[in-house]
Amino acid sequence: MNALERILSEFGPADGAAPARLAAAQALRTHALPTRRDENWRYANLRALEAVRSFLPGPQPTASPALPPALPGYSRLVFIDGRHHPEHALPETSLIDRLRRTDARNADAGVLPFMSAGDGRFGLIARMFAPEPLALRVEGTLALELVSITTAEARGSYLELDIQVAPHAQLELVERHLGGAGPTGWSCVQVELQLGEHAQLTHTRLLQSAPDALHYDTVAVSVGADGHYLLRQVGAGAQTARSTTQVRLGGRDARTQIRALATARDTQVCDALFTVLHEAPGTRSDQLFRGIASDRAHVACSADVQVAATAPGARVLQSLRGLIDGAGAEVDLRPRLTINTDDVQAAHGATTGRLDEDLLFYLLSRGLGPAEARSLLKWAFLAEALNAIDAPALRRVAGQAAAARLADTPATELLQ
Amino acid sequence: MNTPLLKIDNLTVSAGGTPLLHGVSLSVNAGEVHAIMGPNGSGKSTLAHVLAGRPGYQVTGGSVHFDGADLLALPAEERARAGLFLGFQYPVEIPGVSNAYLLKAALNARRRHHGEQDIDAFDFLNMVREKMRTMHIDDALLTRGVNEGFSGGEKKRNEILQMLVMEPRLALLDETDSGLDIDALKIVGRGINSLRAAERAVVVITHYQRLLDYVVPDQVHVLARGRIVRSGDRALALELERRGYDWLLEPAAAMA
Repeated sequence: MNALERILSEFGPADGAAPARLAAAQALRTHALPTRRDENWRYANLRALEAVRSFLPGPQPTASPALPPALPGYSRLVFIDGRHHPEHALPETSLIDRLRRTDARNADAGVLPFMSAGDGRFGLIARMFAPEPLALRVEGTLALELVSITTAEARGSYLELDIQVAPHAQLELVERHLGGAGPTGWSCVQVELQLGEHAQLTHTRLLQSAPDALHYDTVAVSVGADGHYLLRQVGAGAQTARSTTQVRLGGRDARTQIRALATARDTQVCDALFTVLHEAPGTRSDQLFRGIASDRAHVACSADVQVAATAPGARVLQSLRGLIDGAGAEVDLRPRLTINTDDVQAAHGATTGRLDEDLLFYLLSRGLGPAEARSLLKWAFLAEALNAIDAPALRRVAGQAAAARLADTPATELLQ
Repeated sequence: MNTPLLKIDNLTVSAGGTPLLHGVSLSVNAGEVHAIMGPNGSGKSTLAHVLAGRPGYQVTGGSVHFDGADLLALPAEERARAGLFLGFQYPVEIPGVSNAYLLKAALNARRRHHGEQDIDAFDFLNMVREKMRTMHIDDALLTRGVNEGFSGGEKKRNEILQMLVMEPRLALLDETDSGLDIDALKIVGRGINSLRAAERAVVVITHYQRLLDYVVPDQVHVLARGRIVRSGDRALALELERRGYDWLLEPAAAMA
């Protein structure tokens, strides 16, 4: 049996399963998983799924894993193998009860095609198996850190998160994925975010799974009128990682800014897809990606912007850059713009190369050693994406995560 | 007689199989300022970059000694740590690396090379700020990326600032005056002069003699078609200003 057949077989008839789970299983059965023949999945390492021993969620772990230090100023929710652990919540255990929504998941119609026939199909698997799907609603202002840890006992670790940000509300959401179940387990995450009118969400995703882990995640975002969604994503984890993000700018003057970086070394694979849909007038998107592949690693980023006929006055910026830092390393960047209106301003660029020899010589001529100079230039390459993370403590954590996957470790001073 | 700080003997250099320097010989003593002048394509920048250790050039003959040691045997970073500084004609921009970080890293690399401890952060800032005042560079540029968004003049002043911080034994300044207005030229000239000392030397590479109004050289050399065709005192620079280079090019062509 292939991975899809095993997933469906292990899900089983699921008598009594929630309708949403059954619907997800049915959609997966109908549309199957993407393959490398799918344009947006060409660089994803889908074969790694075949090594997963069992797709069922694992039992409760026998020991509590170590947690990273809390971020100052953030409330915290902790999930271990997809299950909420209120004893680790900060500042109080009732936080989740204050935020929890009792209604069903987002009824956002825009997400459905993405999750069924589209690129969000891995989100269906998270929906099928997530032991404790969580739906929240944020009013006012909140800084929330969500820590998701996969343990070695997990086999499959599934998290499904659904957050509504109320009109005019402001949410700082930090999502950290840590640990891993080794090459025969995996973690699969589905996140849906719905921003109301004038809502702002700064979403920092630190993908820091263990170096031998397999991690797939799917993020679907819908932004209402005058809403602003800022994504800062650091792909610095797992042996095989794939992140799929879709941002739908559905309200007039909705905006998104995406700052993403990825680092990989040895034979790691880090693949990301960012799709931005401009569906309303005056919408704006600004995407920036920086990726470094060292040794024989593979970093890929597809950035797809679609401007509908209903989105006159749209503004699109896109900058993708990759750095190849190893004889067998590979970086693949795929910018794509589809524009169906005459009134649009778009600028985009994508470049891949090795370290600039002129910059390297400049630093050597100042007395820096070759290793230090190379490390410094790689750090500088990532800086534009990394510096978009405003909070110093968070930026430091993100920088350390990215640095751990570079062939040369940057000077400690740079990581402060 | 003292050993020259820099001694170049019959240096020949190629790049990609094309000969660029055809036997350059030059001696620069500590305490001296030399100017190397010459028309476009004469090999001035090539000479500076070869001395600084830039990859891509093949030294096909001759020798270079710096403070008595074989300079060509050293990689670029060791030449810098030993006290050789190259001021670039086109300083590169390095967004993401702050000026402060580079200055400190460069200074500490040199200090470690000489068995000294890293500079104290407080002392470093005080020292750099003082030198920034000399160069009329705004404090805010310290935290900006190296040369990031700097004007042409700011980049050149920043090169001189780096030189002042590193306090090299030998400074090679490759067309540091190009693109500078008169005020900036004076500031750069003041910066260079502030480094003049008995134990140091400066080699200024330039097309024009106007920088030499502010940085008065002990010797002037004309490099044409890959070799030094004439040497003299400051009067030579003034003569070049009057007569141009043509009168020296024909003899150089005959020698090539």
